Formats: sequence, C-alpha cells, structure tokens
Amino acid sequence: MGNKFMRNVYMVPYMVWVLLFVIAPILLVLYYSFFDIHGNFSFINYERFFTPVYLKLTLSSFWYAFLITFISLLVAYPTAYLLTKTKHKRLWLLLIIVPSWVNLLLKAYAFIGIFGAYGAANNFLEWIGIGSRQLLFTDFSFVFVTVYIFIPFMILPIFNALNSLNPALLDAANDLGASKSTTFRRVIFPLTLDGVKTGCQVVFIPALSLFMITRLIAGNRVITLGTAIEQHFLVTQDWGMGSTIAVFLILIMFLIIWLTGFRKRGA
Amino acid sequence: MRNASIIQFRHVTKQFNDETVVLDDVSFEIEGGKFYTLLGPSGCGKTTILRLIAGFIEPSEGEIFFNGKKINQVPANKRQVNTVFQDYALFPHLNVFENVAFGLRIKKMKKTAIEEKVSEALSFVNLQGYEYREISEMSGGQRQRVAIARAIVNEPKIILLDEPLSALDLKLRTQMQYELRELQRRLGITFIFVTHDQEEALAMSDEIFVLNKGKIQQSGTPIDIYDEPINRFVADFIGESNIIKGKMIEDFLVEIAGKPFVCVDGGMNPNEPVEIVIRPEDLEIRPEGEGKLSVTVISQLFRGVHYEAHCRDLEGNVWLVHTTKKIQVGDKLGLDFNPEDIHVMRFDESEEDFDRRIEQYTEDESLGK
Amino acid sequence: MQGKASPAAKIFLMTIIFILYAPIFYLVFYSFNSGGSMSGFEGFTLDWYRELLGDTRLLIIVLNTLVIALLSALFATMIGTFGAIGIHALKRSKNSILGLNSVLIVSPDVIIGASFLILFTIAGIRLGFYSVLLSHIAFSIPIVVLMVLPKLAEMNPSLIDAAKDLGASRWHVFTKVIFPYITPGIFAGFFMALTYSLDDFAVTFFVTGNGFSTLSVEIYSMARQGISLHINALSTILFLFTILLVGIYYVISQRSGLKLGGFRR
Repeated sequence: MGNKFMRNVYMVPYMVWVLLFVIAPILLVLYYSFFDIHGNFSFINYERFFTPVYLKLTLSSFWYAFLITFISLLVAYPTAYLLTKTKHKRLWLLLIIVPSWVNLLLKAYAFIGIFGAYGAANNFLEWIGIGSRQLLFTDFSFVFVTVYIFIPFMILPIFNALNSLNPALLDAANDLGASKSTTFRRVIFPLTLDGVKTGCQVVFIPALSLFMITRLIAGNRVITLGTAIEQHFLVTQDWGMGSTIAVFLILIMFLIIWLTGFRKRGA
Repeated sequence: MRNASIIQFRHVTKQFNDETVVLDDVSFEIEGGKFYTLLGPSGCGKTTILRLIAGFIEPSEGEIFFNGKKINQVPANKRQVNTVFQDYALFPHLNVFENVAFGLRIKKMKKTAIEEKVSEALSFVNLQGYEYREISEMSGGQRQRVAIARAIVNEPKIILLDEPLSALDLKLRTQMQYELRELQRRLGITFIFVTHDQEEALAMSDEIFVLNKGKIQQSGTPIDIYDEPINRFVADFIGESNIIKGKMIEDFLVEIAGKPFVCVDGGMNPNEPVEIVIRPEDLEIRPEGEGKLSVTVISQLFRGVHYEAHCRDLEGNVWLVHTTKKIQVGDKLGLDFNPEDIHVMRFDESEEDFDRRIEQYTEDESLGK
Repeated sequence: MQGKASPAAKIFLMTIIFILYAPIFYLVFYSFNSGGSMSGFEGFTLDWYRELLGDTRLLIIVLNTLVIALLSALFATMIGTFGAIGIHALKRSKNSILGLNSVLIVSPDVIIGASFLILFTIAGIRLGFYSVLLSHIAFSIPIVVLMVLPKLAEMNPSLIDAAKDLGASRWHVFTKVIFPYITPGIFAGFFMALTYSLDDFAVTFFVTGNGFSTLSVEIYSMARQGISLHINALSTILFLFTILLVGIYYVISQRSGLKLGGFRR
C-alpha cells in the first residue's frame, strides 16, 4: 500500500501535466470549434469547413504533404541503405543528422538567399546556360526546402530498420536462389517497412501543418492547413474557425498514426 | 571403389581485407551422399569453408569445383546448395509455409506444385499442420525444422549446416542429432555439418575434417580420428587424452617415463623425440607394484558412470584415469595398458606423411609376418 | 547489413551531405561579406559580428532564449524522470499513459501552439515569459520520458531486490541504485529538452506576447523583412554552438549506448 502511495506522490506533477497540457488543450480546441467569431455557439465553422474554399485548401495541403513525403522517401531510402554499407556508419549518420539540429528558421532563411534573384541557384542556372528565373515564391522552392528540412527525419528510422536487419537473412535469400533485386523486393523492403512507415509519419503530419516555410519561401502562394490555423488565430482572430481546422488536423493525425501503425518516435 | 567427388577444394586460401588468413592453402574432396563434419574451435576456418561452398564469399586463391566444374565465380543463388543457418535465419515477416516456399516461388513454380512440395518437406521434418504459424510462434526446435525444410524443399545436391544445434538445449540437441542423421540417410544427399562439439561430430559423421588455424589437421572416419590422432591438437580436441612426451627407440618400441614399452607404431627415426597418447579409459588400475607404471592418486571425482582420477608417476607425469574401481587420494597404485593402446605421434607431421608412414609400416609388418 | 560502398554510392552520399550542409555554409560565408547581401561577395568584414555584439536588444533576446531553454529543460527533466519511473512501475494502464505521453510528440507544432494559446487565455496567464516557459516545459516532458524509460526497462529487476536484500531502504534503492543507473538517460533527456527549446519556433510564436521574444521568433521577423547579414552572423555563432551541443550529446550517447538522434520537430 505504502509503495502505491509513494508511486502516486512522485507521479503527481507528471499526471498534472497530462491533464493540463495533453487532455485539456485537445478538449479546449474541440470546445472552441463550436463558437463563431462573435462568441456565439454554432455549427457555422463546420459548415464553412465543407465549403469549396476549405475543401480545396485541405486537398492542396494533402497534395503538398504527399509530394514532400514521397520525394523525401525517394531520396532517404537509398541514402539510408548506402549509409549502412559505409565503414563508419554511425559517423556518417551523425553527419546527416547534424544539419537537423541547426535552427529551422536559419535554414529557411538561407534559402531566401540561395533562391533569390541573384542567389547561388540562379548563378548556377546562368552558368549552365539555362538562364536565371524566379525561384523564390514558387511551388518548386517550397517543396525543395521542405524536403531539405525533413530528409534527416526520414533517413533516421529507415537507417535504424536497415541496420537492425539480420545479415543472415540476406544470405538465406541468396542461398535460396534470390537475386539482389528479388532479395530487396521480398526480404529487405518488407522487413524495413516499419521504418518507412515511421519516416512517412514524421514527415507527413508536420508537412500538413507547416506555416513558417510557406510564408518565408512560398510567399503565401501555398496555403496549408497549418497556415490557415495560424491565420485564424493570430491574424483574423477567428479562434472558432482556427479550432475547427485544428480538430480536423487532429483527426487526420490520428488517422495517419493508425494507418502507419502506432510507433514511438525516436525509438 | 570411391564415389566421384561432388566438391573439390584445390589449394584454396581465403584472407579478408585486414590480411588475416582464415583458410591457408586447403585442399580436400567431398563425396556424394555422405555425412561430413567440419570440426574445430571458433576461428579455425570451418564456417569460412561452408560460406565458400555456399557461394557467399569467393576464395582469395585456389579453385573450388562442383561436380568437376569450377564454381569460384558462381553466385550463391545459382548453386545447387542450400544452407541451414546457425540462428536459422528464417524470414520473420513470412509464415512457415511462405518461408519454406521462398525458394520455389523464386523458381516461379506452379501454385499447386509449391503446395505439394512444401507439405511434403514439412512432413519430412514432422511439422505437418504448422503451415500457417508465424515464425515467432514456433519454439527453437520447431524453427530448426522449418529451416531444414526450407533447405531440402529445393532438392539441393548438398545441404550445409552451420552449427544448427548450438542454440538448442542438451536434450533437444541429442534428439536432433539422431533426426539429422536419419534425415541424411533418407534423402541420400551430402550433408556438410559445422560444429565445435567433438561429441556431436563423433556421433553423427561418416567423415570428419578437424580444422585448426585455417588448416585441415586431419580427416577420416570418427574411429580413425579418435584412435589415431595425428598430433597433439587433434588428440586434445577430440575426447580426453593423456599426452606424454616420449622417445621412439626403434620401430615398435617407445620410451615413456624413462621405461621402454612395446607399441604398434613405427616408421620413425631411431631415438626420435615423440608424443604418445593413451586414452584415460585404456588405463587399468592394478594393486601397488603390479602393472607397467607406479603412480600415486592426487585427485579424484565421481562422474556417475566412472571415477575420474589424476595420478602422478615417478617421473612427475600426470595421468588421467577413468575407472569403475573405488580409489582414494593418496593411494599408491599400478597402471597397466596394452601395446595397442599406445598411439605415437611425431612432431609437425603432415597428414599425407602420416598416411604414407602408416601404410609403409603396416606393410612392413605384414611382410615380416 | 555489412558491405563495401561502391564509388557511385560514395558520390551519392557525398552529394546528399553536400546539399544538407551547403545552405548552412552559404550563410556562414556571407556573414563575412561587406556587400550587405547574400549575392556577390564584395570583401571580407567582421562588421556584422561587431554590430551584432553591440545590439543590446538582441543580446537580451539571446539571454531570454537561454534562460527559457535551461529552465524548461531542468523542470521537464525532473517531471519527466519521475513520470518515467512511475510509468515503468505501472502494469495495466501503462500503454494508455504512453499513448497520452506521445500526443505532444506527434502533434504538429501549430496545434500545440494554438491549443496552448487557448489554454493560457482561459487560465488568465499573461502571454510572455511564463507562458513560453510553461509551453516549453510541456512539450519537453514526453521526450524526457522516452529517453529515461528504455534505461529503466533494461535495468535488471534483481538489482533492486539485491539492494533490498542488502538492507537498503526505499530511499536508498532510489538514490543508490535506480538513479545512478538511469543517469545517462536523464542526461540525454535533458539535452534533448534543451535543444527542443532552443529550436522551437511555432509554439513560441503562438504563446509569446508583445514584450517577450526568443531567437527563433526574432529571426523569423527579421527574415520576413528580407535579407540582413546580422542573421548570417548570428547563424554562424549558433551553428558553432550547435556543433558544441552535438559533441556533448554524442559523447553522452556513446557512453550510455543510447541510440543516436532522438527526433527533433
């Protein structure tokens, strides 16, 4: 009995945190979604969410998030695979991870310079004879910068999955007649699917809700669910509509977590 | 008549990037339809030989032949050889059926044929009805059988087994020894079995290759290797033995502990320093003053079937004796043995020289009679 | 997964690493440009660093950021460590608590920011230092828990029995056995919390008031006004600081055998 009491005592701050900062905020967002901009109870926000403006917004947000996740995966899988083949793989991995520790804002800011009218990217295009063009505030720059920022988060879980693969399984597949490509298709990829799922999860959800990069790099050309929430909370002060979009974002988040299988991040 | 060899190694050397030589100029032949064991301590090169035959690695020097054809560059997936891995290496994302069917699916075999063959292979290892179990639901012994079924279903000419019993407990291991031996007889194909367990090797094999430090020390039937070890390493590694320094006075006469004894070995130089082996079960306890050596018991243990005693002779040599007679520490006894129990080993004799010498003096012996 | 990397593979990896580092070194390079823009290097100067160090407003913001990071990491580590020990002892409700624990890790920053904004407004907490500090503590707690839990899980339960057998009180079991054992996890958690806090932009952006700002928020407002090489100079200093933190974290994770690279948002 005393044991149980002790446990409860030192868990109190943690449980308070769970209540105040995990459960309460979600309930508050749900609560606020039922109030219009004048503070009256209504379903107007939900009605508005199902108008073409917001549906189109959701759809385009999904499209960009999908594109970003897909391109990240295309680059990250071979990178992770090759990392496992290097001699000092932990060191190489560290090299890949370090940029993700550099302040996000600074990286986005760097691209304002690189993609600027007289920046390095245009100098390069000039030099190879394509000629300079508008890069900043385009879909391309938005997707490029976002992929750039998310790549390490996609590489890490895939690397961990590949790295924990039992090498005897590859010998076994080879022994049973499988060529390199068959081994990849039937053994390596299925066994690292969990890493791929985790990677997609940690890229897709943030990609849906970005707002800083859309402002700095895409110059409001791209509006994601995140941008819309920020807009409603901090600019138009329509917390009800902002909360409604947040409710849908939370629902989408749980759906994706459920789809990709619940997994602890960083594990 | 000898069967045609199925695998032949000619002066095969394997060294890895860091220049460590794991196999040093190894040549041997393996005949079809027999149970072979590669036996040796860890790092002796036995697994390297297996991986060379499987095709996971290529030799640095020398040639490997399969049915007379050189296969140095043939990749593992094109060889008629299948492996049962040490930790089984079963695919965790596939169930039992799909694990066994893996090789057949790659051959693009028809669905009905696959089902037939898989169920046949599973019944061969007594796993009928386990088709749709997940690997994680199988016990160690069952996983072992799945791994065997996965190998035999492809109808290879050779099955390689890399310490497949090392993860099992003692009782299951003994049972699997019988089953593997029986399986090899029923299939009639070549098994090459790798182990560091000498009892396992003696119990199961038609032929044993004893390896140490990247070289084959001795090859032969279990009885040959046990009775006539070529050198100290083999004598020490296989079974328990008393290895005592001696001198070969002349053919069939050896000096041990300062006394001459009649033996059955020959073909050496007069007064050549040698080592002699006498197995502890070949030493007989006699009352004090009788027998060939006088000894004092310095320690003893009860081992169930017998007593195990350490005795010291007058020269200071320590003899390990297995006896069913009750003895006590401090007892003064005599030790007796027969001439044919003495096995004489020369220092640094190669296996070819050893074989040639044995042939030579046994011929002399038969001519003399 | 062992093997040798082919030359093509090495070129691919080098390209990826080049792309990952190019923007950072681009920033650092132009921080020494006397020209005033991130194109066309005109001449070497340290003026931007000099001006940066003379900017008291910015120095106060740096100080704010560090104070918030250290305090939030400290509180989050304490609450998270005790939470993890509590969770470890749970039987039935362990998985649901772990699920709740992960909500803030998986949630997008915008949602955390927006919902905390509502929370602080309702609770009547003025937006500023305290709201930012509370938010940073809140989103750092779960990562501390995730860093400490594996250490607890790998601890042999007989260690505790052995300590009790040798006459240790519950307090002694905690201070002499459990705590020393999980120290590497606690340190890793502390460092992750520190870097989470230093790097956070979105949540702070939502819950900070007029008078209070952190570096990320400041960089954002500077960057929205266009290129200013002050930011480049600042980024050079921050990059060096990051390298230092990574070095410390690497040493700790090597020593404790933790897997490298917990997730950052």
